[in-house]
Amino acid sequence: MSKIVVITSGKGGVGKTTTSASFASGLAMRGHKTVVIDFDIGLRNLDLIMGCERRVVYDLIHVIQGACNLNQALVKDKRCENLFVLAASQTRDKNALTSAGVQQVMFDLAALDFAYIVCDSPAGIESGALMAMHFADHAVIVVNPEISSVRDADRIIGMLNKTTQRALEKREPVQEHLLITRYDAGRVADGQMLSIEDVQDILDIDLVGVIPECDDVLAASNEGMPAIHLEGTDVSGAYGDAIDRFLGMKRPMRYLKNQRGGYFKRLLGSL
Amino acid sequence: MTGTSGTRPPLSFDIKSTLLSLVALQLKSTDLSRLSSGFALRFGETPDFFDNDGIVIDLSFLPRQPTSESLSGLDTPLEFFALITFLRSYRLRPLAIRGGSARQVAAAMAAGLSHEPGAMPRATPPRVEKPVRRVPAPVPRPQVGALVIEKPLRCGQQVYARGRDLIVMAMVNAGAEVIADGHIHIYAPLRGRAIAGAQGNSDARIFAMVMAAENVGIAGVYDTGNHSVFESVYGKAAQISLVSDRGGDRLIVDKIHA
Repeated sequence: MSKIVVITSGKGGVGKTTTSASFASGLAMRGHKTVVIDFDIGLRNLDLIMGCERRVVYDLIHVIQGACNLNQALVKDKRCENLFVLAASQTRDKNALTSAGVQQVMFDLAALDFAYIVCDSPAGIESGALMAMHFADHAVIVVNPEISSVRDADRIIGMLNKTTQRALEKREPVQEHLLITRYDAGRVADGQMLSIEDVQDILDIDLVGVIPECDDVLAASNEGMPAIHLEGTDVSGAYGDAIDRFLGMKRPMRYLKNQRGGYFKRLLGSL
Repeated sequence: MTGTSGTRPPLSFDIKSTLLSLVALQLKSTDLSRLSSGFALRFGETPDFFDNDGIVIDLSFLPRQPTSESLSGLDTPLEFFALITFLRSYRLRPLAIRGGSARQVAAAMAAGLSHEPGAMPRATPPRVEKPVRRVPAPVPRPQVGALVIEKPLRCGQQVYARGRDLIVMAMVNAGAEVIADGHIHIYAPLRGRAIAGAQGNSDARIFAMVMAAENVGIAGVYDTGNHSVFESVYGKAAQISLVSDRGGDRLIVDKIHA
C-alpha cells in the first residue's frame, strides 16, 4: 500500500517545492519507489527544480481528463532510478483539479507499486492546497522560523484535522511532521528569528528536521538539481537526516550551530 | 424545627436584579405583511437562525404620527397577538415593547407584553419590574454544564459555548477564537482571542494557565489592544474579570497562585 505524503505550509516561498524535490529524491535514494506530484496548477515549478522541464509532455490535468494514460505522464528522474515526476499543468487553472480525478490518480499510482506518493502543495488554503492534502497519510509542514509562516502553518494543521479524507471518515488522523527550513542560528541568537523551541511550542507537532539557511540551495534550484544532491553540504545532510527520521530512524539534530560563528568570530572575521 | 422563635423561616426565593441581553426588533412600519415578506427574504433559508431568543419590539423607529392618539397600526391587542405569533414562528420570544404611543402601549400590555419606556443605557442598573410577573418564560436557558474541548484550537478555528461555560484542555493559538456565554477556562496557553459573557453576563471570567491572549473581552468590554494590562501576567497563569465602578467598565487581570 503506498503512503501519500503532502508537503504543505500555507505560506508561499518557505521551501515547499525545494523540500518536495529533496524529500522525494531522498526516499528514492533509500530504495523506495517514489513519485512526486506538482499540485500547483498554473504555476508549475517542481519540474524546474527537478531539472526535467523539457521532458514534460503530459501533466496531471491531462491524466485526470483522460487525455493520456498515467504511464505517459510519469517523467523518470535522471538521477534516481526509483523516482518519477508528475508535473502540473501550466495552462489550466486549479478548477481542473477534481476530487474524483485526484483519487483515481492516487489509486492508479498505488497499483503501479509506488511506495511513496509525495504531493507538492501550492501555497494558500484554496482548492489546490486542499486537493493536495485531501488523501494524505502524512503531512510534512514546512515552516520558516518567523511568526507569519508559523501562523499560516497552524492554520494548515487545523485544516489537516478537519477537511482531509481521514478526518471526514474519522480514521486515524494524518500524521504531521514539522520541518523547519531556512534556519539561521546566528539570527536566532540575535533574536531576529524564532527558535526551534518557539516554533514547536506554538505548533506542538513532531519535529522531523531542521534545514539550515544556505546559499547553495538557490544555485542548485537554478541548475535543476534537488538540494539533497549537494553532497557534503549541511543542507544535504539535514534533508537526509529528516528523511531518516520520517522513516522511523533515530538521528541526532545536527547543523544547528551558528554557521557564521559567534559574535566575536564574525566581528573579527569582518576586520 | 431548629429555628429559634426570633428568626423568620428562610424564604423560598430571592429577588435579585439581573441584566438580560435581548434582541431588539426595530419596526419601521406597522404593516405585518411587509414584515413577513422581509423576514422571509432575510431568514427564509435559515429558519433556525434564532434559538428562542427573547426579543424587544422597538416602536420608537416608526414614522411619527401627528398626535400620539391617532391610529398608526399596532393599536389593538389583536394586532399584537398576530405579531407575537408571527415572531414565534421564527423562534423569537417577544417579551416587551419599547417606545410607542399610549394606545400601542395599552394594546401591547393587553397582549401580555411589558413596556419599556425608552432606550436604556448599558450600564444602568436594571429595575425589578413587571416582566418578571407578566412574562411566564424569560430568556435564561437551562445550564447544561460546560462545553469541553480536548484538542488544540488553531489559527482560523472558532468555538462558541452557547449558554454555558467553555473549558479548553489544549492550546488556543493566535488567530483562533473562543467564545462562551459563561466563563472560559483554558488549561493551556491562550494565544488567541477569548470572549466570555458573550450575551452580556458581566460576572463571566477568563482563566488561562498561560495568559498570552491577542485580545480578550467580557460582556462587550474589550481589552483595547495595547496589552499594558497584561504585562504583569504575560505568560503566567491568570484570570481576567470585568469591574464596573465610577471609572466605567474595565477589565482587570489577576495572577493565579497555584
